[in-house]
Amino acid sequence: MHYVLHYGQITPYIPYLLGGVLISLALSILSFAGGMVLGLVFAILRNEGGAAASRFVRGYVAFFTNTPQLVQIYVIYFGLPDFGILFTPFMAVLIGMTLNAAGYLTEILRAGLASVHAQELDAAETLNMSRLQTLRHVILPHLFRVTMPALTNQYILMMLGTSMAAIFGVEELTGRAFNINSTTFRSIEVFTTVAAIYVVVTFLATILLALFSRWAFRARVPVI
Amino acid sequence: MAQLDIRGLVARYNDTTVLDGIDLAIDRGEIVSLIGPSGSGKSTLLRVISGLLRPVKGTVSLAGETIDYGDRRSLRRARNRLAIVFQQYNLFGNMNVLRNVMVTPVTIKKRDRREVEAEARTLLEKVGLGDKLNAYPDELSGGQQQRVAIARALCLKPEILLLDEVTSALDPERVGEVLDTIKLLAAEHMTLLIVSHEMAFVRDVSHRVAFMAEGTIQELGTPEQIFDAPRIARTRTFVSRILGHRTAA
Ligand SMILES: Nc1ncnc2c1ncn2[C@@H]1O[C@H](COP(=O)(O)OP(=O)(O)O)[C@@H](O)[C@H]1O
Ligand SMILES: [Mg+2]
Repeated sequence: MHYVLHYGQITPYIPYLLGGVLISLALSILSFAGGMVLGLVFAILRNEGGAAASRFVRGYVAFFTNTPQLVQIYVIYFGLPDFGILFTPFMAVLIGMTLNAAGYLTEILRAGLASVHAQELDAAETLNMSRLQTLRHVILPHLFRVTMPALTNQYILMMLGTSMAAIFGVEELTGRAFNINSTTFRSIEVFTTVAAIYVVVTFLATILLALFSRWAFRARVPVI
Repeated sequence: MAQLDIRGLVARYNDTTVLDGIDLAIDRGEIVSLIGPSGSGKSTLLRVISGLLRPVKGTVSLAGETIDYGDRRSLRRARNRLAIVFQQYNLFGNMNVLRNVMVTPVTIKKRDRREVEAEARTLLEKVGLGDKLNAYPDELSGGQQQRVAIARALCLKPEILLLDEVTSALDPERVGEVLDTIKLLAAEHMTLLIVSHEMAFVRDVSHRVAFMAEGTIQELGTPEQIFDAPRIARTRTFVSRILGHRTAA
């Protein structure tokens, strides 16, 4: 067996692969953003929403963090059509990743919320801040500041997790690698190139997120 | 008419009665200190006055206007007239010193930013932190943080300032700078209700001292009465124990 590496055969596909990166980024950014909104609502409900709300959130988190993401997306993509609910592959993956992210982000954000000093909240109240103003000026900045390392981690995991979308035929980075592989049969070249692209993208994302959180929230995250 | 008039105040945590009928009237420009063992209800009294805990009985009036703690607007108006500083973590960790002082006047009360900033700078200068405007709370010592908290309270131009053990979380060498700041306010005839364990300071600065135990004011009098000739045994025991500790230390 003698295999000669021919990366030259892959180079024409680089722009095509980079287009896939954009789809991977879109999937991960949208589902992360959606997961943050849901997670924040759930974290607040869990902490001060009464017994029923708290039980619902606990159930939600337990379900989504204890079942494989792939199975969750299968249910959405192949199961829901039985009930007349149809999604495009992209939408099914996006919804699945969002709901899944919400489970993990709820736990991260809840821990962050618990670390707000009670006296800071008392101070806000006696300074006549409304609950919404307290959330905006006191709680959220603190929350992002302390949870930023964990959030960054979660985002990177999600960015890498978008490769699952290939299974459903979404032509993101991994999906496009499948396509190239099936025409060139240059598996090693294709997948090592794609791996390198994932490394570069997550590396850049980590740096950007660290710089952003330092600037926006004074988070003490090392840049590299 | 008293600046702050507390009558028959009763407050509970769950089923435990923590304040059991407090009567206290403080005149404009008067400085009253609350002393007493831990758990006697001093913090709770300040929390009730500032609306963090609803009283179950009794009234609190500010210059004749009784606060309706069940009514948002009445409470809001009251909170515009009084300010409170706690033992620690008063400051918002995500805002620098200047913004901590300015956030309420500018963002909540919608006052003119330039005017507020000028006042904030003057106040921070006065508490000796004119060079720390851009520092964040976690870059300051505990004593500096407390002085910022006092400046923030003053920037609201309160009619009465409530101070709850503002030095008890500090390193001993930092206590003096905060007490000096409070003395500055005393010299300007600010109305103050102070909870403190710094007996020398209490004696020095207060017009009257109230000794609290088990949710009631056991004895109220001039510092000389409370420290030198207390009328009840309980006050005497408390004062001598605390002063004894201080001299021994
Ligand atoms: N959040 C709370 N929940 C239940 N009980 C409390 C709470 N805060 C204080 N207490 C109780 O109320 C009593 C008075 O406390 P506090 O006003 O803090 O006393 P002090 O400030 O004089 O030390 C204590 O017995 C304390 O245990
Ligand atoms: Mg106390």
